[in-house]
Amino acid sequence: MRTADLELAARCRAGDAGAFEELYRQHARRLFGLVVRMIGSVEDAEDLLQEVFLQAHRKLSGFRGDSALGTWLYRLTMNHCLDHLRARHVRMNRLTDSLDDDASEEPMAPAPVVPAAVSRLDLERAIKLLPEGAKAAFLLHDVEGFEHREIAQILGISEGTSKSQVHKARMKLRTILRR
Amino acid sequence: MSCELYDDLLDDYVDGVLATGHGSDGRFAAFAQHLAVCGHCQALVADLTSIRVAASTLDEHIPPPRLWARIASSIDEQQRLPWWQRQLGGAYSAWVPAVAAASIIMLLAAGVWSAWQQRRVETAQQAAGSLSDPVSVPAEQHYEQAIAGLQLLADAQNATLDPETRAVLTKNLAVIDRAINESRAALVQEPASTLAQESLLDALETKVALLQDTVALASDSGWTPEDAPGAAKELNQ
Repeated sequence: MRTADLELAARCRAGDAGAFEELYRQHARRLFGLVVRMIGSVEDAEDLLQEVFLQAHRKLSGFRGDSALGTWLYRLTMNHCLDHLRARHVRMNRLTDSLDDDASEEPMAPAPVVPAAVSRLDLERAIKLLPEGAKAAFLLHDVEGFEHREIAQILGISEGTSKSQVHKARMKLRTILRR
Repeated sequence: MSCELYDDLLDDYVDGVLATGHGSDGRFAAFAQHLAVCGHCQALVADLTSIRVAASTLDEHIPPPRLWARIASSIDEQQRLPWWQRQLGGAYSAWVPAVAAASIIMLLAAGVWSAWQQRRVETAQQAAGSLSDPVSVPAEQHYEQAIAGLQLLADAQNATLDPETRAVLTKNLAVIDRAINESRAALVQEPASTLAQESLLDALETKVALLQDTVALASDSGWTPEDAPGAAKELNQ
């Protein structure tokens, strides 16, 4: 697998017109779904994934095959998503921190249990409410099927942190889905 | 209840790791025994399993065919650029509002600095006994110019913000405008009041910052109706 990755990267670097498209075709579907769920907007996801692949094209010379090409692309993608979300959250927080102190918290109405078959639509909505770190780990683990070892590489965190973030995400989703 | 003793095993159990990876672990056997009699843990395992199953079957999002065409076209464009422009990437269009806002802020900073210097001279002249108009606040004009420029940019991009954010923004702007008006009224009552002058400049500065953030946020915002309410609520917490 690594050899195939290195060969593909080498072909891209050599200017092989079809090689970069091959790389795109291999990974764009999964990356696009991840980006849509991370940032919550299909339109923004297109722009962001375009930036990711353009950056990948510029940075392929730095790919040494230490990790799989897919993992490397996921890392670039998650870095873009997290930067995008952080910038947006900082601005949103500054904008939406009410200057009057009349903001009130909605009381939570608990229900007994999560339905045995969770609706995918409900889950999609609940995922949008996760904190970004937990959301990233949850999407990579439970949706994309990565192992904690791989998530640690992609997000630049320890395996233990990956496990605790997935746990945090699942518990928060449980709370949201019980409302 | 000893549920908390097994917190660290819960997710491994849901993921099926315990059955393969910890088969010989005594704690796994203990957890299995605990689970058989603990309704709380049974409910938790059932819920987390439902979430995990649903997560693994979420619909696929398919990138539109135009995305590759856009990427290929951008790569072609980049390869035609001089090397120093290639390092900057191809996101020029996304920079335009931010660059415009930054330019306005730089002009504002220069104006305020110049006004501040002018004010120091006037203060020195006043101390020396010469008369000057105490009501005028030169820096205010520079803030007003910056606000006018930013307001134009913000108005043009306002529609890209989700309604909830727009509502809070409008409310915050109204609060700032009220503070500006109150400071101006106080200055009319007491033209030489340093406190009123500082309050006015603070309020104007806050308005500039808010509008600057609005422009920046609007330029990278991609609101869709279905994602607005929850996300905005979360950010407000």
